[in-house]
Parts: sequence; structure tokens; C-alpha cells
Amino acid sequence: MAENDEHAVGSVRAKALSKSYRLYAKPIHRLYDLVLPGKRFREFWAVRDVYLDVPKGGTVGIIGQNGAGKSTLLKLISGITMPTTGDVEVGGRVTSLIELGAGFHPEFSGRENIGLACSILGMDQAEIEEKTQPIIDFSELGEFIDRPVKTYSSGMHVRLGFSVATCVDPDILLIDEALSVGDEHFKGKCLNRLNEFSEAGGTTIFVSHDLGAVRAMCQSVVLMDAGKIVEQGTPERVADEYLKRVRAQSDSGAMNLRERGTSEYPVWGSGEIELEQVLLLGEGGEPARVFRTHEDVTVRLCYRAFTDTANPVFGVGIYRSDGTYVNGSNHLWRDRPIEFGPVGSGETGEVDYRLGRLPLLAGQYYLSTFVYDHSKPAPTAIDHREHVTTFEVMDAKAQQHGLLTLPSTWHVRRQPGDGGDEIRKDSES
Amino acid sequence: MLEILRSLRRNARLIRSFVVRDLKARYVGSTMGFFWSVVFPIINLFVFMFVFRFLLKARWDDAMGPKETGLIMLAGILVWASFAETLSRGTNCLVENSNLIQKVVFPSEILPVQLAISSIVNMLIGMPIVVIGTWIVMGNPFGWQMLALPLIIALQIVFTLGLGYFLATLNVLWRDTFHLVGVFTTVWMFATPIFYPASLIENFTIAKGDTKEEGYWAFGWMLDVNPMHWVIDSWRRVLLYGEWPEALALGRLAVVGVILFAIGATFFMRQKRTFPDLL
Repeated sequence: MAENDEHAVGSVRAKALSKSYRLYAKPIHRLYDLVLPGKRFREFWAVRDVYLDVPKGGTVGIIGQNGAGKSTLLKLISGITMPTTGDVEVGGRVTSLIELGAGFHPEFSGRENIGLACSILGMDQAEIEEKTQPIIDFSELGEFIDRPVKTYSSGMHVRLGFSVATCVDPDILLIDEALSVGDEHFKGKCLNRLNEFSEAGGTTIFVSHDLGAVRAMCQSVVLMDAGKIVEQGTPERVADEYLKRVRAQSDSGAMNLRERGTSEYPVWGSGEIELEQVLLLGEGGEPARVFRTHEDVTVRLCYRAFTDTANPVFGVGIYRSDGTYVNGSNHLWRDRPIEFGPVGSGETGEVDYRLGRLPLLAGQYYLSTFVYDHSKPAPTAIDHREHVTTFEVMDAKAQQHGLLTLPSTWHVRRQPGDGGDEIRKDSES
Repeated sequence: MLEILRSLRRNARLIRSFVVRDLKARYVGSTMGFFWSVVFPIINLFVFMFVFRFLLKARWDDAMGPKETGLIMLAGILVWASFAETLSRGTNCLVENSNLIQKVVFPSEILPVQLAISSIVNMLIGMPIVVIGTWIVMGNPFGWQMLALPLIIALQIVFTLGLGYFLATLNVLWRDTFHLVGVFTTVWMFATPIFYPASLIENFTIAKGDTKEEGYWAFGWMLDVNPMHWVIDSWRRVLLYGEWPEALALGRLAVVGVILFAIGATFFMRQKRTFPDLL
């Protein structure tokens, strides 16, 4: 690829790029195909007809769901696999942060592995010697650099891999989302390194299914689906299309509790009333599993009563996937409470819990539902279900970080040193 | 085939560091280090000597005592071990290094070469035992014949590589290859005059029936189709008998080796683009 001189260094251009894999029912069929006429395989197009033009110094994000062909595209650009049809022109040295430290030999020291990795990249002895020290310095491995790589912790392994990939003066850097480089200190160093690389005119191609991460890094985003590029442009525009597609593909937000059989999460209660279905409704009342921040979301609880009950109370708890209890509420403990009143046997109905502007930021969440009898001094469980259903929140704007958006504004007041007028600036929410 | 040779030249440095890495990896962590290159064939030798000479009472030649027989066997064992190791590891080399082939842009054609060179070096570490032993036991002086060794080694490498490229590629497409090679290598070893003299097989016959009129199965042809016999015979002539190797054997070896190499290398390069997808 380095020989490809007529092509501008640092740019990537794919023309009608396609990659198909041949899926054989039995491995031996592959051999038959080699010597006998006929075809015994099924074709699977992982990447189909992709046109991509990344100029030198560009930072392009590729997003898409699992299996959309992002990783195959990266492999094609890096030259690890060959395209089935079409071609990809890559100017200059490509290093990838796809799998950090792949190809290190466990028995050899870090220093020896640096030498090997560099010679795989085609460097001569002088160049290797020149690069080795910066790589060691950046990796912060210290005396460990002369110990066998098999004694390294996974964090050290990754640090060495990252250092090698970025210290060898690549023209193009390919980054996979799975990039986790260990502790916070080193992560910061890595981000600095990537920024320096970008500012120095390096070309970055970044693959992820996390909108926020792509948005933070990339000026331009490409959306892939089923091997094809379906949208490209500014992060905002592509993010919108992405959300639409994710929602269209995900299963509906209905969780039928009766069919679920035995739950893997705790369920308890006296059972006079049972929830039959929990529905998650997005804007427009469509069942969904993926929502965006600030969307109008409704949780619908469909119940059936088996025995007379004096005064049931329905509640919902929201948790982040790591178990953080985000919020819990019911319709009784309100400024203007709803008193349910007596429920007769055989009655069915729906209780809606509406979040007019979902304040959750990007992440995975789950719901628990509670039906309690408040007619006694201490409420007792009628139907308490943990972890009833999960949902995902995507935040196309990625303006705030953490768990929740907080309604807030920013204000700046500056007093210039030369005695000029005070400067005031205020942000929108 | 030319493509592969160009690539090997371009990656000469890389091959060197891989050979060094492989030689080191053999002994890194072992206390006896390179000594194993010598110990292993010698232990093999004792096992076979014990079985063939003492248990089965096989004689190499009436004129030869145990020491001479031992040296002749040892030369054969060293050459065969190097060949068999390259064959077995070469067949599996792409599968074994799948992390390199799938994760980085890597010239996979250097792998069989690296293995062949590494095993030859390993063999050469053991060879001085034969040379010194011959000098002590038989008193044969070192002759000009030694000059033929580089040629023998080169032809041995070309022949081994041809097979290696072919089998490595086949093994990616069909993993049973590796197991078949294991079985086949054992059969091949005993079909090659390593532990018995070639004359034994030349004169060996099995009667087709009970009477002489029905004729015999002869086995002499087996030596005419076995390139490893030519290789080992050449080594023995040079190291033990102080003779030049047979020109006919080397000529045949060269022809067979180059043809095999051309076939293997072409097959390898044709299939190379599919390796990352198949591993």
C-alpha cells in the first residue's frame, strides 16, 4: 500500500467496495468447490457497494448496529482482508487500534515484541531503534519492558499495543469502539495522543455503535446497515436516521408477563391483581424499546384482578443497567393523588406512567413494577416484579454526560483587565 | 512462484527476526537451552539402536560395529527430524498464527520459510556430533566434499518448502490435513532407510505365492521415488564416507523440488487472499 504513490498520502477512497463471505454447510465442501465444478456455498455480503472518500486529515465515524459491516469495512481498509469486488485505495501507513497487541508473542519481552511489530510494518533496523524508546516511554511499562509479555496484565498489554500503533507515525489510524485502554490516567493520555494525531493532519476512521462517542470525535459520520452505507453527513443528521432504524428493528416494547413463565428475576406478592403486560410507548404511542433523551415516553401497565381488593396502588421503578436506582414513584404519593378505590374480581384495566420529557441520558435501563395494597397501615405486595423489561436510551445530541439531563443554563461574566465594559454571555438550555 | 520469491526477498529481515524468535522460543525458559537440539536426536538414536540392533539383531553391515551404525543412524535421524518437524509445523503454521493473519497485515508466505530455516538451524546444531564422531571412530578426515553441503541443504529446503506451502494451504481449507500429515510422516519415516541400510530394501522381496514360479513383489522402486532417501543418502556420503553425493540423486532432487515448490507456491499464493476469512 505504501507503494501506491499516485494516491494522496493519508486519504482513503473506496470504490464500489464489496466483501462477500462464502458460507459452507460443511468444511469439506470448500475443498470440493476447489476441484469440482459447481457451487456448494451460500454467499453472505458483509459489505456491499460502499463508496467512501476520506480526505487527508479527516475524522470519520462509522456507526451501525452489530453485524452492519463496520468491522469488515475496517478490515478492508486496513488491508487485512481483500475485497471481493471493487477496490480501496489507501495512502500511506495504516495502523489499527482494532485489537491492541494482537500478534505479540507471549514468551518475548515487550522490547522484542516492539521490534517484531515494527518489522511487520516494514521498518528497517535504524527506524526501529529510533522508535523503540518513544514507544517504551509512552507505554509507561518501565522495567517491565524487558519481561516476557505473558507476565503482563491485560492493561499493560493494551498499553503496549496502543503505544506501538500510535508511535510509528501512521498516516491513517483505524479505531474500533472496543478501545479500552485501562486506567483513567492512561485513557487521558490516549485521548491526547489521538487529538495530537488528528491536529497534525492524521486521518482517523472511528467505528462505534455509540452515537455519543462518534459525535464527540467526528466531523462526519457514515451510517451502515446490512453492509451498505445508508446515510452520511453531519453527526446530527445521521444520528436521526440511526435512531429510526434501530427503533424499526428492535422488538416492540410490549412485555407479555403471562407468557414469560418463570422469571429469572424475583417476583412476589399475594396475587389478587396481576400485571399481564407492560408496554413501553414512544412518541406517537408506538411500542418501542429504544428512546431518545427528551422523548415523550409512557409506561403502560395492563392488569387483571382475580379477587376483590380494597385499594391497590401501582408503581414503577427505573434502574440503570448497573443497578443504580434512578427513580421510583406511584400514583398515590403525589400532590394530587389518584385513589384507586375497590377493585372487583375479573376487572381489567390500564395504568399509564407518563414521562413527558424523558430526562435519561444514553444507556441501558430496566424497569420494575409494583402493585401494593395500601389499605393496611404498612403497604403489602400484591404483585411485585423486579426487572420486568429493559430499554435503551440514545442521546443524539450528547450535550450532557452522566445519568440525567438537568434543566440548566450557563452564565459567564468577564471583566476585561483594561477597564472595558463587562462581557456577559448566557447559554440556552 | 516468482511472486513468492520476490516477497521473500522483500521480507528477508522479517524472516530473520522470526527465525531468531522461533529458535529462542524453543529454549526460552528451559535450563538446557540449545543442548536439547543435541540431546533429543541422541535419545532417539538409543531407542532405535536398542530396538533394531539389540532386540531384532539387525546388522547394518558386517563390517560395522555399533559405533559406526550409531553415527549413520544419527545422521539420518537428524535430517529426518528436521524435515518431519517442518512438515508438521508447516502444515499447521497458518492456523497457529491466525492471530497475525487476521489482525494485522502480514506476509503469511514467510511462515513456512521461517519454520524450514529454523529447523535446519536446529539440525545443524546437532550435526557436529556426527562429524566429530566420524572423525574419532572412523578417522575419516574432513574433505572437500563438505562443499556440497550448502547445495544439499538448499535442495532440502526447496523440497520441504514445496510440500510445506501446499500442505499449509490445504490445511486452511480442510483441517483434517494436519492429522493425515502426522500419520503419513510416520509411514514415510519407516519407508526411508534411516534405521536400516538402503541395500536391505533394494534386495527385499516378498513371494507372491507359495511357489517360486509365481514371482516376487520387489521394493527397490521405493528408493527411486523417495526424495528424502536422496537427501539422507547425500548427507551420509559427505559426512560419513567422505564421498561426493550422487549426482543423479541431487539432480532428481532438484527437479522434484523445483516442481513441488512451483506447485505449492502457486497454490499458496492463489488461496492467500482467502486466508484471513477462513481462519
